[in-house]
Amino acid sequence: MAKGRELKGRIKSVENTRKITRTMEMVATSKMKRAVDRVVAARPYARALADVIASLYNPELAERFPLLRQPAKEQRAALVLLTSNRGLAGAFNANLIKEARATLARLEAAGTQVELHVVGKKGIGYFKYIGRAMAEQRIDITDRPTAADAASLVDTLMQRFVAGELDAVYVVGSRFNSVLSTPPTTDRVLPVAPPTAKGAQKDYLLYPSAEEILTELLPSYVRNAVYRALVETVAAEQAARRTAMKNATDNAGDMLNLLRRTYNRARQAQITQEIAEIVGGASALQG
Amino acid sequence: MAALKVSVISPEATLFEGEAPSVTAPAFDGEVGILPMHAPMVTTLGKGVLAIGDGQRFAVEGGFLQVVDDVVRVVTEKASKL
Repeated sequence: MAKGRELKGRIKSVENTRKITRTMEMVATSKMKRAVDRVVAARPYARALADVIASLYNPELAERFPLLRQPAKEQRAALVLLTSNRGLAGAFNANLIKEARATLARLEAAGTQVELHVVGKKGIGYFKYIGRAMAEQRIDITDRPTAADAASLVDTLMQRFVAGELDAVYVVGSRFNSVLSTPPTTDRVLPVAPPTAKGAQKDYLLYPSAEEILTELLPSYVRNAVYRALVETVAAEQAARRTAMKNATDNAGDMLNLLRRTYNRARQAQITQEIAEIVGGASALQG
Repeated sequence: MAALKVSVISPEATLFEGEAPSVTAPAFDGEVGILPMHAPMVTTLGKGVLAIGDGQRFAVEGGFLQVVDDVVRVVTEKASKL
């Protein structure tokens, strides 16, 4: 029964693989829950910041803030691509890289020099492979990104934007709409597009002045945009991994069913054959 | 007397949310005390201790404080509970 033993080995191996993918699915589920909590926890801050900036902002002030400077033409831009450090998340990283390449192509077609800042081993690996120079490679941002991570990513870019060395900064990451909808997106974080006020404006007392408050808040707003992109990308990564691992587990189940059926059929065929042989032998002796 | 609705918000989480009779915050040029019925105000914060009523205290640095209709929002990148 050589075939039977072979099948048994395969059944065992698929069972083990299924155990692993099922565990990864559960780990991704719990990590995703925590990541989603962080996405939700980050919202009040973003809302409060956008609120106040919107109520202070007016176009006359805009010209005095370097972060709001709208360059006539984008000569030099920076693209920050957020990917994950680990794979086994389906097409998650591939989609992000595709989005980044599309944005790169679009910017370069318009005659912009783009420098690439890549977060995550997967993105770095890809751009190394195709031989594109990267201005910055970061693998130290974990699946629990902090506001400090966001600041360390964007602060130098902000300084260079203010100094006029860069005309725009883009961030490519996944937006987390829901568990099933996490499209890769490109956001322009610099120059800042000021949030627009909705509803009636309050007449605030401002200390020290609208200008100085904005000076302090605009960098926070940019950092927060990057922080939001980081947490949403992590949540999307875990959602993608969960889906990928769920599919793998389901497929392993289907494969197991097929293998078990084949194995049992082979076993039964062998028993039938043995009985036939015994019966045949016995009747030969009687005859 | 009406109470103030106070929230302390950092980029990563809402650190405090609740009612308090008063708030004392370290504004950029010195302490500022907020009581109910305060006029709408936005001020940047310096470094110091934020006290909510006589209970919770936070160490804050930078950010801003917004008062409107007895709702006080303290929004800061650096805040930790004392």
